[in-house]
Amino acid sequence: MRGGAIPLVAWGTILLVLYIVHAIWNGRTVPTIATGFAVLAIYGFGACVWILGRDTLRRGPPAARSEAEAWPSASLGAVMAGLSFACILFGVVWSNFLVYFGGAMLLLSLGRLGVEVRSEYASKRHAQEEMSGR
Amino acid sequence: MSATTAPPPAPAPAPQTQAPRIGGWIGAATSTDHKRIGLNMAACSFVFFLAGGAFALLMRTQLAQPNMQFVSDDTYNQLFTMHGSTMIYLFVTPMAIALAMYLVPLQIGASAVAAPRFALAGFWTWLSGGLVMQSGWLVGDGAGRAGWFSYTPLSNGTNTPGVGQDLWTIGVILAATGMTVMAGCITATIARRRAPGMSLLRMPVFTWTELVSMLMVVGSFPVLILAMALLYLDRHGGHIYSGFNGSIDYQDLFWFFGHPVVYVMFFPYLGAAAEAIATSSRKRWFGYVPFVGSIMMFAALSMAVWSHHMFTTGGVTNQYFAFTSTLLVVPAGIEYFDAVATMIGGSLVLRASMLFGIAFFVQFLIGGLSGIFIASPVLDYHAEDSYIIVAHFHYTLFAGSVFGFFAGVYHWFPKVTGAHLREGLGKLHLALLMIGTNVTFFPMFFLGEYGMSRRISRYSTHPGWGTTNLIETIGAGVIALAILAFLANVAVSLRRRIPAGEDPWEGHTLEWATSSPPPAYNFVRPLPPIHSYAPLLDLRHEAEDRAREAAGGGVGA
Repeated sequence: MRGGAIPLVAWGTILLVLYIVHAIWNGRTVPTIATGFAVLAIYGFGACVWILGRDTLRRGPPAARSEAEAWPSASLGAVMAGLSFACILFGVVWSNFLVYFGGAMLLLSLGRLGVEVRSEYASKRHAQEEMSGR
Repeated sequence: MSATTAPPPAPAPAPQTQAPRIGGWIGAATSTDHKRIGLNMAACSFVFFLAGGAFALLMRTQLAQPNMQFVSDDTYNQLFTMHGSTMIYLFVTPMAIALAMYLVPLQIGASAVAAPRFALAGFWTWLSGGLVMQSGWLVGDGAGRAGWFSYTPLSNGTNTPGVGQDLWTIGVILAATGMTVMAGCITATIARRRAPGMSLLRMPVFTWTELVSMLMVVGSFPVLILAMALLYLDRHGGHIYSGFNGSIDYQDLFWFFGHPVVYVMFFPYLGAAAEAIATSSRKRWFGYVPFVGSIMMFAALSMAVWSHHMFTTGGVTNQYFAFTSTLLVVPAGIEYFDAVATMIGGSLVLRASMLFGIAFFVQFLIGGLSGIFIASPVLDYHAEDSYIIVAHFHYTLFAGSVFGFFAGVYHWFPKVTGAHLREGLGKLHLALLMIGTNVTFFPMFFLGEYGMSRRISRYSTHPGWGTTNLIETIGAGVIALAILAFLANVAVSLRRRIPAGEDPWEGHTLEWATSSPPPAYNFVRPLPPIHSYAPLLDLRHEAEDRAREAAGGGVGA
């Protein structure tokens, strides 16, 4: 159990210790279900970190990476997605029209994001070919 | 939009191809560069800060004298609600995220933030939330008016009817969602995109404070989003928070977010003050590992103290929450010890950033010490809902964030803009802010002891109340002058630029190893070797050792 999951395990353990200390000291417990859920959620988050990315657990500094990476320089799709989510919730207060408009805009933004991601992959492939050809 | 390729930071970066960048407003609005997103968020949240400050000045004017009729009772309710909400949801917390968005990738040697599209979408969601919340001023029944916490049953549809409170609720949901997404991006950046050599225990102090803050955001903000979504349903006939238990449930949910956010509004500014102090002391930050442990302990405890806000409700286990709240003294003590020990034996340079850093620790001390007393249920019953609480949380939230924020601004402004801020104006700004803060907030302790309650818009003549309130109003005016001095400083410094160069302060961390302002993808030259949390200081020490050796003195002579 190393690296990025350690803070989460420490965090959950502190909660657990506090719970036990309080139970001994006070003779009664704080809500067991709520505390148990909190501890399990934090431990579970730590487990997710462990399962999803071994890099985050590896002891020591990160190693150098040599492969090319693609990064967007701008994203209209992301801006539209943020605004359309806001439009939908704003519409919940004001009018259904804004909910539908926001929903349509969200679909468009997802399409736009798809185009952007495809372009990013193409760019990455191109760069990798250039690097391997050199 | 177009995509570009960039290699990860490495000792010798490979050539990169870049798509043409879009300029102008559209380019700034759609840019996925973490620096641009960070700057956009910082600029917007500072505008919200000015708005929140204006609300405070209106409130202080209303309270300057007994029986004032400057604003109506209902407008006063809206003002204190929107003042608190603006400062917490739209200034202090997002500014902490903006600082992280700009600085953390630079400090850990990353070329970009992880999931930049999510970060950009998060920014626009947050900004939309802010605008939706403020749009309440434009509707007939006014903006939200049930406090920044909007306790039920006060905030339900019967007691606070109208669209303004709905807009407030939706605004909070949007702002919190945006900030959670951005915090996730920053956490992922730290977890996955550190430069070769940058282990967790070689990350700069500021990055650690941001990491812990972002973990708290990710852990606690979803609870706020849930509480607000249920509140919206409750207001529209859902009867979710009905009865005594319903109100306690709401408070449990709210304060499970509400207490960690206090540290989200403190840690990043603590980190900024720490960087400013260490750099201006020409020493590395003292006690790095205990410091990291202390902020992690702080974060863990922050999730276990929320009900100290509810001692007097009779619905929580007071002993437990008093115990965990008092435990907070331990990590706080470590942080103060580290700050003082960093300065002892250092070659102190008392520039504005350093002075703001010291002021941050001095001012927060008042908030922290008063917090120890009200962590005791016995004393809290006495102080609850009085101006003692207002004084305490302004010393923690205002003094414990704004002074650290300005320490960070004076420290990193040359990096962000390539120009120095004026030192003289900076020291005037500090003096006015110190005077204003203490003249405004310290008398509130006395006012609370005289028996004045929070959230009242008018008061009749009581011994000491009128004079004390007048002094506080004058103090608020001095704070406004301090902010004007800062704005003048920024305007003058950007108009008549004094070039700062790459590393004007002899900084310790990687952001000082690139140009000012940093280029796209942050680092053009190879990064220096990273052997500690102060790699540039290590380089300087190695160069000094070599120079001594060359002069025949030998290492350590």
